[in-house]
Amino acid sequence: MNRPDANDADVIVVGAGPAGSCAAIAAARAGRRVILIERGPFPGSKNMYGGVVYPRILDELVPRWWETAPVQRWVVRRSTMILSETGALSVDYRSNAWGQPPYNGATAYRPDFDEWLSRQAVAAGAQLVTSTTVTGLLRDASGRVVGVRTDRPDGDLTASVVIACDGVNSFLAKEAGLYSATDPSNFTLGVKETLALPKHVIDERFGVRDDQGVDIEILGGTSGVNGGGFVYTNLDTIALGVVLKLPKLAAQKKRPEEIIATLKAHPAIAPLIEGAEVKEYSAHVIPEAGYSMMPTMVTDGMVVAGDAAALCLAAGIWLEGVNFAMASGMCAGEAAAAAVARNDVSAKGLAPYTDKLNATFVLRDHKKLRKVPGLVLSDRVQQRYPAFVTSVVERVFRVDNPQPKPGLRRIVRQERKRAGIKLSELIRDGWTGLRGFG
Amino acid sequence: MTVVACLKWVIPRVDDDDRFAGISAADQSALEFALLSARPGEDVVAVSAGPLGAERALRDAVACGLSRAIRIDLDPRASSSAVASSIASAVAGARLVWCGDYSLDRGTGSMPGFLAARLGIGQALGLIDVTIGDDSMSVVRRLDGARREIMRVTGPAVLSVEGSTARLRRASLRGVLAADNAIIDVIAGMSSPIDAVDEKPYRPRARALAAPSGTSALDRVRSLTDAGTATQRSETVVLDPPEAAARIVGALRDWGYLG
Ligand SMILES: Cc1cc2nc3c(=O)[nH]c(=O)nc-3n(C[C@H](O)[C@H](O)[C@H](O)COP(=O)(O)OP(=O)(O)OC[C@H]3O[C@@H](n4cnc5c(N)ncnc54)[C@H](O)[C@@H]3O)c2cc1C
Repeated sequence: MNRPDANDADVIVVGAGPAGSCAAIAAARAGRRVILIERGPFPGSKNMYGGVVYPRILDELVPRWWETAPVQRWVVRRSTMILSETGALSVDYRSNAWGQPPYNGATAYRPDFDEWLSRQAVAAGAQLVTSTTVTGLLRDASGRVVGVRTDRPDGDLTASVVIACDGVNSFLAKEAGLYSATDPSNFTLGVKETLALPKHVIDERFGVRDDQGVDIEILGGTSGVNGGGFVYTNLDTIALGVVLKLPKLAAQKKRPEEIIATLKAHPAIAPLIEGAEVKEYSAHVIPEAGYSMMPTMVTDGMVVAGDAAALCLAAGIWLEGVNFAMASGMCAGEAAAAAVARNDVSAKGLAPYTDKLNATFVLRDHKKLRKVPGLVLSDRVQQRYPAFVTSVVERVFRVDNPQPKPGLRRIVRQERKRAGIKLSELIRDGWTGLRGFG
Repeated sequence: MTVVACLKWVIPRVDDDDRFAGISAADQSALEFALLSARPGEDVVAVSAGPLGAERALRDAVACGLSRAIRIDLDPRASSSAVASSIASAVAGARLVWCGDYSLDRGTGSMPGFLAARLGIGQALGLIDVTIGDDSMSVVRRLDGARREIMRVTGPAVLSVEGSTARLRRASLRGVLAADNAIIDVIAGMSSPIDAVDEKPYRPRARALAAPSGTSALDRVRSLTDAGTATQRSETVVLDPPEAAARIVGALRDWGYLG
């Protein structure tokens, strides 16, 4: 084992996304020498997501973060929309309290947000190295991770602990043997268009003003490919995207851009984005299966955080990853710093990281909601329930005088049969949902 | 003696977002030649006249193996002449001063010429090829009409190179880490003895062109765009390689591509 002070750093963090920067802040604040390595020319330059962050976890790391964070809009309206081919049912909640400190969610551009967060890490004392890709792990004779190899000349760096925050499909976690075999059905493909519209047009169409924003999560509307959609408002752009189950996408031979085009043409969506100019199209993989695909979190000399550890919650009405990344990064940074201080960076010495995750929302939410991704992406919820629910609502609100109003129970029974859903399935899914969302 | 690379830090965006700022490919070539042309024991110095942000470009340059970096604190809108005066006072006595031929922000390529004048040394500008020898360098300069000028550089000189002439080496990781803490000398910029007093937006002067010939709109468009002429020129011949080469060269000359 290297003498700790002979290492280039106490802690090397790979990837300056939300997980990596928070890991670096936490470890540097604890007095450790930290090097944060990012492959992009600046943090966030290569990163994409839907568009809403829930930064309350930063209360601990960056007090009064809302005063400096590069936010587009504060989310004061959240909607869940169920789309059938032509119908739409929305549950819409608005809270002006969410538009006041300490806020709830915010829309932000990743190149802005990630870069800002990395500056907090540098201010805490971490050294940020950009335009540098980590290409592998360095190990000692016992197999313990002792550093990283990069794509630069003379590019090996040693450290007591490596924190892998290199995002979904982490090759570092795989190289360290922390994942079992990769199963494509654990992943979804997220694709997004950024659509430009003048600010006042967005304000009018979404019923908001000033820096108020809207978050719409969509079930259905993905052209029969299991998944979901989203619409978020930035100041003068709208983020519109779909999240698609990979094996289904491949089996149905559909192109993601065609699915987005169909969603954009839906009667409930088209008026929101009419006249908008496409500014950007981007795509990224999501570790959708959550709890059931998580790797072992620690090994000798290394821990894994954020998407690299599959800590992304994609459960229908929630699509949260950045907050889980920030929280797990923070726990990883703290645990790594403490292990270095105790001079025990073995898997056992780093185990408090997993304990911290278990004690916080990071693993608790994932555990509680572990059945939800499977349920939300199941064929029934995806293919049959949207049509069933929207046709029930359509009939409830349709006034067919001189026919008398039909009873709700009868409508539900008739529409359930028409949609081909057995009562036993409905009860089972309802129960799973209740327990899952519990 | 020192060898100098002059680097201009430019934000190539209308929104002034300096995360996308950097130096041109031509300046990167200049930096590479500065590193390659230094003799043992000579210092290699990078100079950038510009705002604080320019220090990022200088640190990247230091990471590639420079001895020293200087930032001349100057308004980015300063004229080429003012930039040249400031740089000249910072690098007086240098053996070679390498520049890119144009900066990223629609530069005119005049700064290297001003600089040679201020330093009172020779100049070889707009170079498309450089061969570094022990005592001298052979350089090729682009002239109008696809002509070339080959020159030998022996004495102190300012050289400006095109972006395609060299590929900047990738800085080592140790270099990058050390450059973070490198000290960048900052000196105040100078005003120039000759300076633009009135700056207007760039508006190329209108030129009168002869109307295209042809009676129909299609003919006029064809004559404006030269469309179709290339195919009329094509010809298939079977020749031995030397004759074929001579024929190609002859045809290119006839068509005005070769001087
Ligand atoms: C379409 C889509 C929509 C989403 N919407 C939301 C949303 O609205 N809200 C939300 O909270 N979450 C959302 N997510 C999830 C969220 O984006 C992720 O959970 C989050 O980005 C994870 O952060 P991270 O730091 O773990 O990884 P990343 O953000 O992926 O960061 C990894 C970093 O590591 C760098 N890196 C990778 N490999 C290397 C290497 N070898 N060497 C050096 N650097 C490397 C990358 O450049 C990057 O900067 C969405 C995801 C997708 C795909």
